[in-house]
Amino acid sequence: MKAGVVLVVVVAAAACGNDTDPRWQLHHDRIIAVRTTPSHVAAGQLAALDALITSIDGGLAVASPVQAASPAAPPGLEAAVAGDGRGGWQIAAPDAATLDAARAALGLAPGAPVPLDLAVTFDVGGELLAATKRTWLGEPRDNPAVGPVTIDGTTPGAAITIPFDTDVALAIDVDPTYPVNWLTSCGSLNSDDNEHAVLLHVERDDPTSGQLAVVVRDGDGGVAWQTWSIDAPPPAGR
Amino acid sequence: MQLHRHALFASLVVAAPIAAADPPPLTPAGPAGPQLPAPADPVTIAITGRVVDAQGHPVAGATVVVEGAATPLRTGPDGAYHLDGARPGATIAVDKDGFQTGLGSVAGPAIDDIALASLEHNAETIEIHGDPPPASPGATKLDRSEAERIPGTGGDLVRTLTALPGVANTQRPSSMSGIVIRGSAPQDSKILIDGFEVPLLYHAIGLRAIVPTESIASLDYIPGGFDVGYGRAGSGIVALTTRPGEAHATEQAEVSLLDGGVLAQGAAGGATRYMLAFRRSTIDLLLPHVIPSRVNLSLTTVPYYYDVQARIDHDLSPHWQLALSAIGSLDALEIFADKAKNPDKRFFDETEFIRVTATARWHDGPWSATVAASEMPEDIDTERGAVQHIDAKRLETTVRGELTRSADHAAGLVDLSWRLGAEADVSRYHLDLAIPTPQHNGVLQTMRDPNDVSTRFDGVVWTPDFAAWTALSAGLGSRVRLTTGLRIDGFDRSGEVAIQPRGQLEIRLADKTTARLAAGAYRRPAEYQDELLTSLHSEHNTQLVAGLEHEPREGIRIQPSIYYTDRSHLVSNDASGQLGNLGRGTTYGAELLATLRGGPWFGWLSYSYSRSTRVDYPGAAERLFEYDQTHNLNAALSWRRDNWQLGARFELYSGLPYTPVTGSVYDSDANFYHPIYGAADSQRTPIHHQLDIRIDHTWHPAGIALTGFLDVQNVYLNDSVTSYSYSYDYSQRFSFVGLPILPTIGVRGVL
Repeated sequence: MKAGVVLVVVVAAAACGNDTDPRWQLHHDRIIAVRTTPSHVAAGQLAALDALITSIDGGLAVASPVQAASPAAPPGLEAAVAGDGRGGWQIAAPDAATLDAARAALGLAPGAPVPLDLAVTFDVGGELLAATKRTWLGEPRDNPAVGPVTIDGTTPGAAITIPFDTDVALAIDVDPTYPVNWLTSCGSLNSDDNEHAVLLHVERDDPTSGQLAVVVRDGDGGVAWQTWSIDAPPPAGR
Repeated sequence: MQLHRHALFASLVVAAPIAAADPPPLTPAGPAGPQLPAPADPVTIAITGRVVDAQGHPVAGATVVVEGAATPLRTGPDGAYHLDGARPGATIAVDKDGFQTGLGSVAGPAIDDIALASLEHNAETIEIHGDPPPASPGATKLDRSEAERIPGTGGDLVRTLTALPGVANTQRPSSMSGIVIRGSAPQDSKILIDGFEVPLLYHAIGLRAIVPTESIASLDYIPGGFDVGYGRAGSGIVALTTRPGEAHATEQAEVSLLDGGVLAQGAAGGATRYMLAFRRSTIDLLLPHVIPSRVNLSLTTVPYYYDVQARIDHDLSPHWQLALSAIGSLDALEIFADKAKNPDKRFFDETEFIRVTATARWHDGPWSATVAASEMPEDIDTERGAVQHIDAKRLETTVRGELTRSADHAAGLVDLSWRLGAEADVSRYHLDLAIPTPQHNGVLQTMRDPNDVSTRFDGVVWTPDFAAWTALSAGLGSRVRLTTGLRIDGFDRSGEVAIQPRGQLEIRLADKTTARLAAGAYRRPAEYQDELLTSLHSEHNTQLVAGLEHEPREGIRIQPSIYYTDRSHLVSNDASGQLGNLGRGTTYGAELLATLRGGPWFGWLSYSYSRSTRVDYPGAAERLFEYDQTHNLNAALSWRRDNWQLGARFELYSGLPYTPVTGSVYDSDANFYHPIYGAADSQRTPIHHQLDIRIDHTWHPAGIALTGFLDVQNVYLNDSVTSYSYSYDYSQRFSFVGLPILPTIGVRGVL
């Protein structure tokens, strides 16, 4: 087992030393999170499909996929992913009998939610980026709520101003088992995936304005986010 | 982190003795009368030895010529001789009327008996041999003094392996459980210490071998075509022999910015010698101070290591010798890639083992035998993030015996040696694993989902392996020697019996020119990493090696060789990812090793050409092997006069193949990117070249011989790319570059 172990050490070293964009950097073309609303879809119900994306040119945006499919859908669910007629895409959970047939084909217990794996493509900064997501059919469930957020100890409004060249604490009150990710295009983040110990710091050579986002996942397909515009005006003369 | 690796490597390494040796005692009266110890020369040693006849009786009045010594010696009535200033590795030639010339070499202070064969060809004359297996084409032996003359190794004997033909070279000082020889996987070659396998060769930080040079007597490198006495390996053998104690006791201590250690050796009574050594890293004391506070990194357990070596040799009787040795190593580190010590960003590794070996050697007339028992507990504990872990505990027990019968003549053959051996090697692993499923087909395995635990196992695995072998070596006249042998391995876990015939033909083409041809079958059981979780069969290797050894003049040796290896039943994944004995491959290449030992000069030139390919499963496209290195050139030259030694070494070698990543797919639920790979090992990193230099100077203040050295690697700061890695979403690529300049400064002192 030794060779594999050492490989990990070397990679850890590389990951710390490279000059590529960190995961929290919003000034980067990428998909941040794909969302179905609601997270789990009851029989006969619809769910909207969209994503939080970010691009170098356009910053944060909520976008609909340019393509969506479920290439490995269980029997009877092949058409569950379809256009919504308004240029977007949606999930249509079939009736209970169809879901029962899908459960039987998958060997699931009666009443168990039926997984539906989605393959989606988004236009991000003019480039088509691919993502996957699993949603569940046959039971209703909402996406998680973004808990109370504090920035530098206070509840933020839609636009935030933070002090320049100072560690600013970001915190969110959510279920401790939920993964949390903070992202910014203004300053740098320390411990960006820790809901309580995140520090935002804007210093010389950093953009002094941009956006801030927090993404919460419930570990069961549910996802939610909140975004802000942010400024860190430098002292006069700098 | 990369910044600090560079800062670390650029640190000045200072090695200084903090204790000196006891003055050596008077040498007992020998043939030349009582002798006072000469002022110690750090590149020569005092030797004692004995010349005997075929029956083991002392041969008095024989002429002993030690390579490099000013005058010949003569043996005393007891057949003994003694020389204070012998260079390790030097050849010893013995002549006596009525006998054939006998040869030996300076492998340590106590020279094995040199047995002279009678010129009277009497079929009933028998001779004590106890010879090592015949030299394979391309095989090389290194000792401590030669390691110090090859710049760029920091004086580490084991690191001279990088200068040997056939060994794939990389700049990155990473720890591996093996070395890559002749286009094989690391696990295909065995690393032996005192005849038994050890699980790793270097400490985890990669700058030091697990055995310091001062504890090593010699290193044998056999790149292929090895004898039936070696098994469970498909490629090559690296065999280290620990240093036995010497007649006069010494103690020494050394400390540097990397580590510090102590060594004591000597004799207890007339029949017992000992060597004890211990080393501990010091890097863990320094590293926290060179990491800038702004780096988002927490070194909870800074990388550290220990190693220990012990050896006791005891001459029980003229016929019996006993040896007890122990080798141990421990490496540990714990890193959080996050100052907040987020468990998801934790990496912890602790690896430790100790191998204890007891050996008894016996000889009586034409018979000799070796019996050894060895046991090695090993513990690997690795944790990555919150869920991935490896906890592997192993206890390996090995018992081995070999009987040798020698004869001068029999059935028209001359200088016969027949060997019969057997071995039982049983390991018990307790494995507790939760890791990503390993890939075996050369794809990048570096950026994995930290929550991927698709391979889980918690249980016990036994690997009982048994072997028996026999070999007959005989001269067919004065110029031709044939060795033929058969090894049979039983791999109980897979229920296999592996029959492996091997042979070697040696032809003396001229007085100074010998050709060797070796061919054989080799099997490696599937017992490496996740192979333990399967019941896969062994991998098959068939080797064909041809080599020439030519000495155009004294001190110059040229060894060209060519080889071809056919591999089948290789452990690999099929198109669906299923693991099996599905792969095949070939490797062919040519090598050259030329050495110069003459006057003040020591020269070294090695070149390897290799091409190694694999087909992972029937129908798959052929690809380059991930360790294929087309060209590898090493040239070193060292000059010594009076108190100065100057040396330089140039390296040039091809980069290794790698598998590019062409895109990625984002798993939104896991918040993780899965790479899309291009063709396996379809691209190669750039060629690397570097120059290393070494300067030694010796002083003799107040009767102390002080040697200071400066060893500088990569003096012109060539930072060529060694490998690539990717950003979290694979949209950006970044490079690993080679070592920056690495100076090592040290001082050694001998009283």
